[in-house]
Amino acid sequence: MIEIRGLWKRFGDLLALEPLDLTIHAGEVVALVGPNGAGKSTALRILAGILTPSGGSATIAGRDAVTEAVAARRELGYLPQKLGVPPTTVVGDLLELVAATRGIPFAQATAALVEAGLGDRMGAVVAELSGGQRQRLLLACATLGDVRALLLDEPSISLDADGADEVRESIRAAVRRGAAVLFASHYLHDVALLADRIIVMVHGRVTASGTLAQLAAAADVPWREEDGVPDPPIERIYRVLVQRGREHAGRTPLRLLKDDAA
Amino acid sequence: MIRALLRFELAAARRARTVTLFAAGFALASLAVALVGLSAGGAVTVQGFTRTSVSLLQLVVWVVPMMALLTGAVAGAECHELEFVVGLPLTRGQLLAARWAAWTLALGAALFVGLGSAGIAIALLAGAADGARYLALILVSWLLLAATLALGLAIGVTARTRARAVGIAIVTWFVLVVGVDLVAIGVLAILPPRDAGWGLSLLLLADPVDAARIFGLGLFRADAIAGPTGAALRRVLGGWGAWVLVGGLVAWTALPLALAGRWFARRDL
Repeated sequence: MIEIRGLWKRFGDLLALEPLDLTIHAGEVVALVGPNGAGKSTALRILAGILTPSGGSATIAGRDAVTEAVAARRELGYLPQKLGVPPTTVVGDLLELVAATRGIPFAQATAALVEAGLGDRMGAVVAELSGGQRQRLLLACATLGDVRALLLDEPSISLDADGADEVRESIRAAVRRGAAVLFASHYLHDVALLADRIIVMVHGRVTASGTLAQLAAAADVPWREEDGVPDPPIERIYRVLVQRGREHAGRTPLRLLKDDAA
Repeated sequence: MIRALLRFELAAARRARTVTLFAAGFALASLAVALVGLSAGGAVTVQGFTRTSVSLLQLVVWVVPMMALLTGAVAGAECHELEFVVGLPLTRGQLLAARWAAWTLALGAALFVGLGSAGIAIALLAGAADGARYLALILVSWLLLAATLALGLAIGVTARTRARAVGIAIVTWFVLVVGVDLVAIGVLAILPPRDAGWGLSLLLLADPVDAARIFGLGLFRADAIAGPTGAALRRVLGGWGAWVLVGGLVAWTALPLALAGRWFARRDL
């Protein structure tokens, strides 16, 4: 569903994303984790058509993300890290625009807003919404229609525990509808609860990737999947792998899954 | 989809305080200019729109480009912050065109309110003679608004940040409103008037503000005060001058928009 081959990006002298290869299948959730400046958002923004790649290719549901950008974006929902709409936008106007670009009836879009708990905010200006409400609104817009790919940059940012639960449930609902999900997050709890695969990035390159159990093994942190998901020592696993990524800069990354040639 | 995008941009433009302030401020200024013009000329002896319209034209060529360049510059720079909207299945060219159309409509409506209220005052106090020419003046104002707004958007999109965009817009306004006239005077000082004709006419087309000013003055047969560029245009192009000026203003709208769309489509946000 999402195919990335040798995708890289340079900003002036900075190599923000080293060649990335990744395949995300329908109904699969992949998380990008890593410290600030690791290249997570850069990867998502290239796929969403916000940035032009310096090289490599990516397809969304078979559409090239660069040469068929509009067709590719028709298949995906994108939630940026920043607001990304004029603050004076009225909720209903934004919903109408998203519905029109996706070719779905406005009533269906309204139902999605109600489902997101924002049914009574149709006439509100986005700037008047709380951080959590804004995030729920944009997520509802991003998942509107049967998008086949979801790109989410920090989906749980500014949310309280209940809000974060709702966001996770929205993502799971999209996955049940067959969407391929790629998300970047600093909230490792979300990552542990949602991701089928985790990609650890440091300084623009993949330093490790695999399931949580595989990463735990790679980081020499004792934990098995059977031990239960609620409290995996993901923080420890993350710190070990990021530190190793920093120490091993320029060397071959850990390869834990055949799919992910790092 | 284009309609939805235009509605979205129009709704945002309508809610902006800029439009309300511009409408109110321009209406007040237009009324003041109209009433002062009428009283100075004597409402009884000066009939119709001619005298006050020439004064209003001066207001238009100073205020409209300033407002449109600043608004366009800010709206263009803001495009770089619309990551969610750009991530929707639409082209960046469509987004920019919708922005321009929405702001042209919103500020055009404000302009209509301003010039319309002054027009009503003039018609009541001095009669409706030359009313059709006054409507043409509103049309010229819209053409100038459309052109300078497109230029402002191009400035905003290429400048990327609001502060830089506003700075460049102010410098551009000064060049268009004052600088080009200074260049025209310089050309006349160096070259004999006969040889300077084509150069001055081209200079006129290179400045949408001067083009609108000369076109407006021509509407009210005020050619005597059209300045060196206006005189040169009449001599070189004769009766075609007005159409050339309109063509120039349309080109000043289309070219910056096309260039801005092209630039914006190729750049990282």
